[in-house]
Amino acid sequence: MRLVVLLLAAVLPGIALGQYYAGKTVTIIVGYKTGGGYDATARVLARHLPKHIPGKPNVIVQNMPGANSIIAANHAYAVAKPDGLTIATFNRNLPIAQLTKVDGVKFDMTKFAWIGSAATESTILAIRADLPYKSFEELKKADKPIVIGATGPGANTYDFPLLLKEFLGLNLKIVSGYQSSADIMLAIERKEVDGRAGSYSSIVRFIERGLVRPVMRARASEPGIEQLPVDENLAPNARAKAIMALRSAPEVVGRPYVMHPGTPAEHLKTMRGAFAAAIKDPELIAETKKARMELDFVDGDVAVKVMQEVLSQPKDIVEEFSKYVKFGE
Amino acid sequence: MHSRASLALALGMMAVSGYAVIAAWAWPWKASLFPLAIGVPVFVLSAAEAAWVVLGTTEKSEVQDVQIAQDVPERVALGRTASAAAWIAGFFAAIVLVGFPAAVPLFVFLYLKLEGRERWVFSAVFTAVIWACFYGLFDRLLHLPFPQGWLAAWLGF
Amino acid sequence: MIEALFEGLFLVLQWKPLAFMALGILLGFWVGLLPGLGGATTLALMLPFVYAMQPVEAFAFLLGMHAVAATTGDITSVLFGVPGEAASAATILDGHAMAKKGEAGRALGAALASSLIGAIVGAFALAIAIPIVRPLVLTFGSPELFMLAIVGIAFIASLSAPGPRGMLRGFLAGGLGLLCATIGQDPQAGIARYTFDMLYLWQGLDLVAVLVGIFAIPEIIDLAIRRSSIAGSLPAGRISKGAFEGVKDTFRHFWLTIRCSLIGTFIGIMPGMGGTVAQWMAYGHATQSARSAEERKGFGAGDVRGVLGPGAANNSKEGGSLIPTIAFGVPGSTAMAILLGGFFLLGLVPGPDMLTKHLPVTFSMVWTIVIANVVTVLACFLLLDHLAKLTTVRGTLLIPAILVLVFIGSYTSNNHYGDILVTLLFGGIGYLMVIGGWPRAPFVLGLVLGKIAENYLYISVARYEAAWLTRPVVLILFVIALAVIAYPFLQRRKAAHA
Repeated sequence: MRLVVLLLAAVLPGIALGQYYAGKTVTIIVGYKTGGGYDATARVLARHLPKHIPGKPNVIVQNMPGANSIIAANHAYAVAKPDGLTIATFNRNLPIAQLTKVDGVKFDMTKFAWIGSAATESTILAIRADLPYKSFEELKKADKPIVIGATGPGANTYDFPLLLKEFLGLNLKIVSGYQSSADIMLAIERKEVDGRAGSYSSIVRFIERGLVRPVMRARASEPGIEQLPVDENLAPNARAKAIMALRSAPEVVGRPYVMHPGTPAEHLKTMRGAFAAAIKDPELIAETKKARMELDFVDGDVAVKVMQEVLSQPKDIVEEFSKYVKFGE
Repeated sequence: MHSRASLALALGMMAVSGYAVIAAWAWPWKASLFPLAIGVPVFVLSAAEAAWVVLGTTEKSEVQDVQIAQDVPERVALGRTASAAAWIAGFFAAIVLVGFPAAVPLFVFLYLKLEGRERWVFSAVFTAVIWACFYGLFDRLLHLPFPQGWLAAWLGF
Repeated sequence: MIEALFEGLFLVLQWKPLAFMALGILLGFWVGLLPGLGGATTLALMLPFVYAMQPVEAFAFLLGMHAVAATTGDITSVLFGVPGEAASAATILDGHAMAKKGEAGRALGAALASSLIGAIVGAFALAIAIPIVRPLVLTFGSPELFMLAIVGIAFIASLSAPGPRGMLRGFLAGGLGLLCATIGQDPQAGIARYTFDMLYLWQGLDLVAVLVGIFAIPEIIDLAIRRSSIAGSLPAGRISKGAFEGVKDTFRHFWLTIRCSLIGTFIGIMPGMGGTVAQWMAYGHATQSARSAEERKGFGAGDVRGVLGPGAANNSKEGGSLIPTIAFGVPGSTAMAILLGGFFLLGLVPGPDMLTKHLPVTFSMVWTIVIANVVTVLACFLLLDHLAKLTTVRGTLLIPAILVLVFIGSYTSNNHYGDILVTLLFGGIGYLMVIGGWPRAPFVLGLVLGKIAENYLYISVARYEAAWLTRPVVLILFVIALAVIAYPFLQRRKAAHA
């Protein structure tokens, strides 16, 4: 009996201190349906997070699609309980939605309890490999317009080339309306369009196959595209540079993970530690390598700074920005 | 009843397409082309159908779709339809008020007892089976998010 | 290539792949049966488990599961009038009508047999298309896809009731569908169309919520009015015996079944068309096989051909949609997009390699589809008796169960109450349409094809200006569209003169 009491006395303080999560379920809410990039990332993390959270809670994924993940963000901001058990991941461009005052936005990106970002998702422009243009310089001198396929305003397939056309003077013709970026790749094979913009992670395997060649990138860099020219660096004036920088800013926080603004600080700390550890976990790396996912933890503090940078832009920049970039699909 | 339903649909379509055309007028041409190209003919056609119902004879015979209960007298059919609609609406209200997991057994049990006039034990068992399947599959296994009912929120849970 | 064909077969006929296939079939059976368990979602959930498997085993599992859902989805459609899968909605029209006449067994037999033939045709097409698939898919650019969507919309004429009044209502229903398709953010100017400031409507109406509402709710009301079982007052004994009759029907209308399978395969191959159209075009084609106005009226009232067409098409499109996925890495549907994720997890790269270096793996997928469907259909035939007997259960027991399925089925698309409201709204509209004599099939066609037609039109014009109108395939498709529209008028002419 005394042995039991002694053992309990040794263990109990440990339980009180670090075992808040024991026996509980952590939910990751994804702002998209099953099958997309955000969902896949969340599910991979959900499988490997439990061993890095003291108490080894159960981690599940729930999908809350709608309004390009504005619904999920609204939910995480006001409806979910601030008990450290609900995490949300959503469209990295939501700060732009907040900035351009999209109707229905009920959150403030700077106030979320930021765990951080699980990956950087940089945007590149890729052209069909059999075209004679091998670099940005050659592209600029092109005599015929280069047809770029896009899904619609608000997607990086559309916005990135639009800004390149407006500010860098590239002779691009943007054809919009494709159902998905995969359809654009098929159109490239068909020679219906000459290229597309998009996240590097979604285009990389087509580059490796030799179908397309990357010629430009945005600010964020990933292994393999470091040497490409950066759009903002080639901007003709400060205003153009500011607008391109604004579009690219969220890319560093490519896969955002947040919790309710009122989440207690110690839970946020636990989660940041767990995410950082999980992303370095060799088992996770083995799994994501096969799926060509590059996960890379960016701490919440960095993320908050990016949000503040985006949301504190001067009014005239925002106004001009809104003329080109609308938040959308 | 057949012609009244058709008239209701035709008038509804006139309202919907009319609104669609008016709303689309203000948009840039790329966004408004399709809605206008469809909305205007639809408005004209639905007006034609409404006129046809009001002025002409209508036979139901030509429909190429399923039929709803032909052999029950109209009065009775309408009454039962209203009752079914009320149950369906009630189920939805229950889901919103007390949440999915509680609304399912509540609805099933009440329906079996009140509409089906089944015996207590049978109703209870049937309800339990349905609830167990529902809960086991959609909550435990798939972890679907079921929001808390409004009642629970008001009461401060 | 023949050696690869047999190599693929031997790869599948090992105990491990077969075991995984059996597991997949078991899972897929329930996924297809229950609305609310989508094939795509389940694929996504199962994906992580295949990480450690060999490619052949993994695909035996994934494809086994997915191929089967298309078959069992028809079962719920026939028995209860609730679409188990979005791709099974067309089977409700005649399949459920047959169940109400006490012919549930026959309808199920026809649905299963035509599903099997459709699956085999689709798999076969996948196999022989391999040498020609790349040039085939590459010929169909945006202008051709636009014209194909127009052909689909032209089927509205076939799916309307005959006669000027019928046509008028059919076009109205189609027009409503096309208008509903415009709801959401448009991809040209980014305007939020008809969203009434509701975030929920940004991405448009959810197809599953609408389908479940417009088809299932009127059936529930019908059951409530009749106060009996689905099969009415017919004796139980007759019902299940019809299964063999259903199989015989499939062979009686063999060429129709084959043609509808080909329609399904073709639509499946075209990326961007979305597989749900296939069943409606097949249904429309099936109605064209009616030889007189009298026969024509029988559709919707329980003509077995209305079951054979969609039953075959929704299975053959599975084999078809694998083609762009494997050959180009471009998924033909959400489920295929997820399957693509599986490719990468297993270290395979879709594209020309799959048609050359890894040809046996590709063929093993073909065989998986065939074997999985054969096994499922045989298993279903064993269960047929019990399944068909469900139509003799009294309505007051079925209604609450079906309603729960309907509500869940609609909710789980987006986990949003708005979907249930949409289901109820379109349930009301569907009810009025059935009472008022408005056909529902054209509405679904308009809803599904509206966005596709609009987008491809804009892309064609932006890219080619006017030149696309004179491309050869575009012209051929235009003629086909005209023929499809004219067909019902010619049919009536023939019948009147007969």
